[in-house]
Parts: sequence; structure tokens; C-alpha cells
Amino acid sequence: MNKKTIEVLQILSISLIWVLFTGIAVWIVNLIKVSLELHDAPDASVGISIVAIPVFLILASVLTYVFLGLRKGRKEDTETEKSLKPDQP
Amino acid sequence: MENLSAQPHPDAPLLRPIESPARSFYLIVGILLAIILYTGIVYLRQILFGLGVTGMAQPVTWGFYIINFVFFIGISHAGTLISAILRLSKAEWRRPITRMAEVITAIVLAIGGLHPIIDLGRPDRMLHLFYNGRLQSPLLWDVTSITAYFTASTVYLYIPLIPDIAILRDRGVKPRWLYEFLSWGWQGTERQHKVLERAMNILMVIVIPIAVSVHTIISYIFAMTVQPGWHSTIFGPYFVVGAIFSGIAAILVLMIVFRKIFRLEGYLKHIHFNYLSILLLIMSLIWFYFTFSEYLTGYYGHEPNEMRVFWYKFTGDFAPYFWTMVSCNFFLPVLLLCNRKTRTIPGILIASISVIIGMWLERLIIVVPSLANPRLPYPTGIYIPTHTEWMLFIGGISVFVLGYMIFARFFPVISIWEIEEGRKESAKIVTERISSYMPDIEPSSPGGR
Amino acid sequence: MKWGMVIDLQKCTGCGECVAACKRENNVAIVEPKESAMGRTMLWMDMLTIYEGEYPRLRVRQIPRPCMHCDHPPCAKVCPVRATYINEEGIVAQIYPQCIGCRYCMAACPYTVKSFNWYKPEWSPGIRNTANPDVSVRPVGVVEKCTFCVHRRQKAKEQAKSEARELREDEYQPACAEGCPTGAIVFGDLENSRHRVNHLAHSPRATRLLEDLGTEPKVVYLKEGD
Repeated sequence: MNKKTIEVLQILSISLIWVLFTGIAVWIVNLIKVSLELHDAPDASVGISIVAIPVFLILASVLTYVFLGLRKGRKEDTETEKSLKPDQP
Repeated sequence: MENLSAQPHPDAPLLRPIESPARSFYLIVGILLAIILYTGIVYLRQILFGLGVTGMAQPVTWGFYIINFVFFIGISHAGTLISAILRLSKAEWRRPITRMAEVITAIVLAIGGLHPIIDLGRPDRMLHLFYNGRLQSPLLWDVTSITAYFTASTVYLYIPLIPDIAILRDRGVKPRWLYEFLSWGWQGTERQHKVLERAMNILMVIVIPIAVSVHTIISYIFAMTVQPGWHSTIFGPYFVVGAIFSGIAAILVLMIVFRKIFRLEGYLKHIHFNYLSILLLIMSLIWFYFTFSEYLTGYYGHEPNEMRVFWYKFTGDFAPYFWTMVSCNFFLPVLLLCNRKTRTIPGILIASISVIIGMWLERLIIVVPSLANPRLPYPTGIYIPTHTEWMLFIGGISVFVLGYMIFARFFPVISIWEIEEGRKESAKIVTERISSYMPDIEPSSPGGR
Repeated sequence: MKWGMVIDLQKCTGCGECVAACKRENNVAIVEPKESAMGRTMLWMDMLTIYEGEYPRLRVRQIPRPCMHCDHPPCAKVCPVRATYINEEGIVAQIYPQCIGCRYCMAACPYTVKSFNWYKPEWSPGIRNTANPDVSVRPVGVVEKCTFCVHRRQKAKEQAKSEARELREDEYQPACAEGCPTGAIVFGDLENSRHRVNHLAHSPRATRLLEDLGTEPKVVYLKEGD
């Protein structure tokens, strides 16, 4: 498989993780909405979501951070950065 | 590419199972697949006919599925939690252990997480949880926390795996695209190392509370009801302790198995087993302490409903299981692990297996007796698991073994780069750290006088 | 409005007509003897037998046990999908098409009143012909329990509405209350002072099952006198 396809797949997988985690967040928010509508212990739902949603967001952010960080940290990139540097000032 | 992989590598024993898998691998995979296929048929039968094919009835409405759910999720605590704690406390001996532990978590969690679905009378209505779930129900807390733990532990397994995947990619191991895809362009530059290290630091801090929350919440399924034997404030920590306890035992068994199969004696040394088995011993004592306080408070309070469950476990129908559990979880491991002469690899293996059996029995003893002794004067319930339930239990274990084997077929079970890093830097770092603990020598020390 | 039931144990003979009437009325499945021996008998109304004391002074008591329709139902609290809930008239209802069959409510109910459809319920042709058309038949894999014959309330309410008047006490009676030959089971609105249950529930003989759990059951038992 060539490099391009693999790169596309990698970007696709990281986006899928975001889709998954946003999906979870949307799901929890939806449950809160339903519980508000039906007056069915909305306080409990809000309490749980306050804990749950940030956890998933942190996880997705960490993954994205690693993904982007590793891409930026590649040799070619750092070399081009270095070669660009003299022009900048 | 073949000649590339023929190059000698300092950690060749770790790469061998991936580069030249043994023929017996396929044989065992075949056997496991056959078991899993049969389990699938058995489960299909349950879907077609209903839960009547199990041994569950009224009042014992929860059986093997919930027991195994709690048990498998308990085992999963081994991994990520232990590895995060060891990494966080900078224990240098962790290096060959962490990966194995993390893999247990990811696989067992996936199996355990499926058990409540197997237990459903209407698995076809699963989606009701999504558009009509009630976050007030402890079952929903479980869904959320297990999802969080599963994702967190997979991420925590994956991120430290990246440099090793890159090693395999650079050696041209097949399938190349897989390693190319998963290595995320790792080249081992300083900046990449920094990113990886930072991500691992964040993860190990958040993984610990998530792991603790998972088993606490599983205990809440029981503790939130008002049933005798379940409604107990100690249940959260009691379950967490039991989970870590069974988890350590599972890691030890796996370490011994891999050491034997992959001939990893050079990596998994006696000291690793010694340290982990002392941890197991400590957990055994803590487990006993929790069990003791749980039952003593019940006994001393002498509430009649509580006492029926109590005697059912101590002298009634469940007495054989109860006392086997106490011996498996406490007497046998303590006897074996306290004595240096028996704290050998076979001794540790026996103790670990006994703990795993004991912890499974503990889950059985928590779930069934409280249900079998309802408050109102109904006849005492009986529960005899059927072939279906046994098969799904065996199937669950087979999926675990298969999952682990497939992982070990494609990825090193011991972190190569962390071992290399340890070889290069550990000694220096540890010396520096130790000198930083030591009291400073006063500037005007004896030399001046 | 808060529907409730008073069961006078002084009048109850333990004949079991309430159990049979309930089974007929609600199309409760009849399981095979083998299943029944396993503990899969389905009874919305059960007859509990309590043995008190020892031999020469042994006393056997029979207690009819419907769902308690608690004001704080432990079952509704734990349901993950809102399949069991307490409605505005105090009836703890079960929504069969919503239930996923996790059986958490069964594990949480301190009175053990719920039944589960372990298999697809089947009826012999004879019984099928006498099935009650007003009560839906439950599918396999869901939990069911006493509803205070809520379908009868629906019917009576429609009738009262069409005649533009209030619902009368005797119009809505569950099958067990209607069938009881000694009139031991009285049903009505606990909050309506004209209803007999309201009066009886405040009798000095009134007691509730497992009152100390704080579930506030709406089934009141009148103790036997000496």
C-alpha cells in the first residue's frame, strides 16, 4: 500500500475517534434532555455528564496531540523547519 | 525485506514470535476458533429461545453472566492500573511487565463489557439505552465508565506501543501496511519522544481514577439496591481491592506462560515475580481485611434478613464455595507467598491460579446468595447453571486467549524500546534520583575541623 | 388520585381465588411443571405462607401478595430504559415494548414481585379461547408484574367520560378484589375520603410489608385480631 493511502487512513482513523467521542457526548446530552422533559432525576444525569464528557474529551485530545506531535516531530519536517529558519528573521 | 529481519537485534527473543511464528500458533488458534464458533451457536440458541435455556429463575434472576461480568472487569484492573501505578512511581522493574498488563485490560474489558448484553432478555432492544437511557440507573453509570475505561486503556496501550511498531516497520515485518499505518510516522526524534512522554504522563494520571471508578460503579449495581448482603457502603473499595487482587494474579499467570512459551527467562527474571508476588500477598491481606469487616459488621448487627444471607454463605448451601473462596484467596496464597522457599515460580503459579478461582467464587458468593434469600417468605431459590452458561464462560475465556495470542503474534508483549531505554538510561537516572533522596552533606563537614 | 389496596387478613381465608382470578384476567402465562419446579412460575398475585412459632403453637398464615405499587419504587429507580415507572395515579407500570430484559428491577425489588418471560409464553388452545382481549400478551425476554389491572381503569374512565361524570369507586376494581369471595380485598383511591380504602388504611390494624425500607407501599394489610 502506498504512503498516501496510509496517510489518508491515519487521518480518517483520528477523525473517527472524534466522531465516536462527540457521539458519546451527544448521547449523554440527549439523555439529559429526555430526563429534563420527563422530570426524571435530571440532577443525577447532569452530575454524571459533568464527569463523563470531559474524560472523553481529554482522551480524544491526548490522541490528537500525539498524532499531530508525531507528525510535526518527523525528521523531514524538522529538517525543513531548520532550513527555513535562517530566512525568517 | 526478508534479509532485513534477519539482522540480529539485541532483543531478538522479543521479535522472534512476530517474525517467525511457531506452527503450533495456528493449531491453537484453530482450536480456539472452534470453541468460539460453538459458543456462538449456543448463544444463538439463547437468542432464539430466550433466557429460559439458562439456569436462572426466580428469585435468582442473575447468574453466571453477571458473575462473569464482574469477574472479567475485575481482571481488567490488573493491567492498566498496575502499569500506571508502577510507571507513576518510577519503579524501574516495571519495564518488561507493563505491556503485558495493559493488553490484559484491553481484551478482558471488551469481553466483560459484552456480558451485560449477553444477559439481556431482549438484546435486540439494546438501542433503547441510547435514545431512552436513564442516567439515574447504575447500569448506565456502568456503560459510561466502562466505555471510558476501555477507550482510555486502549489509548494507554497503544501510545507506548508506537515506537515498537516503528521498530517492526523498519525491520520490514509483514504485513507492512499494518505497521506503517499504526506507527504514525514515528522516527524516534527527540521531539517525538517528548510528545510521547507527555501523552503517557497525562494518560497514567487519568487512567487511575477511571479504573477505580469502574469497579466502584460495578459494586454500586449491587450496593444501590436495598437487598441484604448487597446494601453495603464498603462495597466500592471492596470490589476495587478484589479487582486489583485478581488482576495481579492474572498478570502473574500470563507472565509465567509467556516466559515458558517465548523463552523470556532473560527478561522476566525472578525479581519481577518476587516483587509482584509480594504485591499479591499484600492484596490478599487487604482482601481478607475487607471480607472480615464486611461480614463482621453484618454478623454483629444481627439484622434477621442479613443473617439469613450470612448463614446461607457460612453454613448453608453456599458454605463449600464460601470456604473454598477463603482458602483460595487467603490461606493458600499467604502460606505459599510468605515463605521464601515456596515463593518460587511454581509456587507463585499455584497461588495465582488459586486467587483467580477464589475471586471468581467471590463474585458468585456476592451475586447469588442475596438473590436466593428474598426478604419475604418465599422458598429459598436455587441456581444451577446450564450448559449454555458454562459454554459462554468457556467461550469468554477462549476469546481472551485468542485475543492475547493474536496480539502477541503481531506485537511484542514486552516493550522493546522501554527495555532499551532502561538499559541506556536507568542506571544514571536511578543514581541521580537516589542521590537526590540522600541528606545533603553539610558544607562545613568534618573536613574543616 | 392515588390508587391503593387494603387486604384484610382477618377476612382472608387463603382460598387462592385472587391468584386464579389475576392469572385469568391478565393472561399470565402458565409454565410447564418442569419450569415451575425451577422457580419460573409466573404469578402477579402470589399467596405467601408464613409459619410462625413452633410445633404445639405453630401458626400458619396466608398472605395474598400483589405488587406493592410503592410510592418510592426501588424498581423504577434502577431501570436503565424507563421501562418501569410510577405514573401520576401512583400505579407502578411496566412498558413491555420498552423493556430490555436486564432484570435489574427484579433484583432490586425487596418484595420479589416481578416475573420474567424466560421463554415465549404459550397457551393451550382451550385457554387461548378464554384469553382476555384487553390485556396485551407479553413477548419473550421482558419483565412483567401486577398492574392493579390498569386496563380496567382505562375502560371505566372512558365510560365515565362518555357519561360526563366522575369515576365511581365500584367501577374500577382489579380482578383480585372483584373475585375475593370474602371481600377481604378492597381497592380504591387512598386520597379520596369517600372511598373505603381511605378509611381502612387508617385503621389501627393497618400495616404494610417491610415498612422500614421506606418504599411506602400502597398495599395495606389489616392484621388479624386475636
